[in-house]
Amino acid sequence: MPSASTGHSLCSRRALTPWGFLAPALAVLVLFSIAPTLAVIYYSFTSYTAFAGPDWVGLENYHRLIAGSRFWFCLQNSFLYLLVTPIIMALSLTAAVVVHSTARGGKLLRLLLFLPVVTPAIVASMSFRVLFNETDGVINTALSLLGLPQVRWLTQYPWTLISAMIVTAWKGFGYYMMVFLAGLIAVPRELEEAATIDGAGRYRTFWHVVLPSLRPMLALVATISSIGALKVFDELYITVQGAPITHQTAVPLIYRTLSQDGEYGTAAAQGVLLFVIILAFTLIQLRVQRVRDA
Amino acid sequence: MHSATTHTTPRHLVVLNVLAALLLAIIAVLPMVWLAGVAVSDATVAVNRLPTPAQMTTTNFSGAWQAGGLLRPFINSLIVTCIHALLNVFLAAAAAFPLARTRFRGRDTVFVIILATLMIPEQVILVPLFRTVVKMNLYDTLAGVVIPFAVSGFGIYLCRQAMRSIPREMDEAAAIDGASSWQVFRHVMLPLTAPTLATLGVFSVIASWSNLLWPLVVLQSSSNYTLPVALDQLLGMFSANIRFAYAGSVLAVIPMIAIYLLMQRWLERGLLAGAVKG
Repeated sequence: MPSASTGHSLCSRRALTPWGFLAPALAVLVLFSIAPTLAVIYYSFTSYTAFAGPDWVGLENYHRLIAGSRFWFCLQNSFLYLLVTPIIMALSLTAAVVVHSTARGGKLLRLLLFLPVVTPAIVASMSFRVLFNETDGVINTALSLLGLPQVRWLTQYPWTLISAMIVTAWKGFGYYMMVFLAGLIAVPRELEEAATIDGAGRYRTFWHVVLPSLRPMLALVATISSIGALKVFDELYITVQGAPITHQTAVPLIYRTLSQDGEYGTAAAQGVLLFVIILAFTLIQLRVQRVRDA
Repeated sequence: MHSATTHTTPRHLVVLNVLAALLLAIIAVLPMVWLAGVAVSDATVAVNRLPTPAQMTTTNFSGAWQAGGLLRPFINSLIVTCIHALLNVFLAAAAAFPLARTRFRGRDTVFVIILATLMIPEQVILVPLFRTVVKMNLYDTLAGVVIPFAVSGFGIYLCRQAMRSIPREMDEAAAIDGASSWQVFRHVMLPLTAPTLATLGVFSVIASWSNLLWPLVVLQSSSNYTLPVALDQLLGMFSANIRFAYAGSVLAVIPMIAIYLLMQRWLERGLLAGAVKG
């Protein structure tokens, strides 16, 4: 860039401007996101509790985590929780197709399907706690009317995970529906018509014409919703409040280690491992998508 | 002629569509029906049942305000939410502008770092974040709730994408006319990305209004509680107050529905603009 070489006053001022625009946002991110992350990496190598520390202990926290079973169990649950991603994708894609082809009442339908998105997680979890109530909740009542066994939605593994996944899917699908809807609107009408004129049925047109053109949105939704699934906290915190921590996932475990055990060093090591796993997972996913697109 | 025939949909597909629409609507609304049911039940109804009309009451709502003490948290949440949304939109747009438009040393590095912050769960950095906030004398203040999350990497990313889709001629023309960077930003970029900014604003409002964990950690006195924290506290107390909590949570949803209805048109334009880019 010429600004660096000439040293002309106007040019050097030009070079400063980008940083002027970036400064406030960067200050916030550095102070409250990046610096704490570096601090957590440091804490993960220390013995640090609510009462003492941090004192450097090297890899001890990591050794203990890797040798123990609790962390692995919760991590395994985090990966099971990823099953919510295909559910969300199917639900939101269906919703988008339905909304797209609903002429009358489409606006009302969109409002109703967006309602869960604007509902605070604590409120959503409160309503589902009522539905999932194990003794006289509506879902178990319906199951017993159908002659099916009752389900311990809030206390028994793996139902604790499934209950929270239902809340996650319920809260999330309206947002992703909008993403797919955008994609559907962008599909050129001529393309669909050409396929229909060529004698392709509705289903084949959808499968071979519409779905491929939604590929960027499918990739986007898969990435965002799976990062969200690995980071899930609110739904578990309220919905299955009181269930043993091994019935939950990694982030609730980290919060438990911090807030109840007061073991900051251990929690930091758990956090660092989780972050590395999310990062690796995301990079692999992006790579796979790129290979498939190429 | 041809297009007229291809547009008519077979009847069984229309029926299927209506059925699917109904089913989806029921899935979306059912939990809220139970929420509202508990909120209007009197004390004779078990918490997990729906009340009959004779068992309905509105006393839980006044109870939520007074005995439940939700009025103050409601106001606190309004303050926190408005300031957070304004800050997030403005700071994200400002940061996105040079990232989208200028070439400068370190730009790509900065952008990658901003994206990396997206992957950090806030629960992971809770302890150092808490220590920083205490050091800055922001513990137990509403500012302490807002400032650490005043801007999100997601917002910056969204705004950058929107700004990149604006034709370069628009701001180059302004720059040739002698406009400063600030003027280009203020008079070209902001108006042209308005749908995206509105979308980001709405999502900040929703996120901030719903945020539970951080306010729970950083607020101590009940006069500073935000609505989700106050609801969490109410849930933890005597069962007599459970109906107040449910009434309060119905009241917590109403402003969000209002903002959605107000912003619907912008929101849909913004989501379309953002998503098409991928």
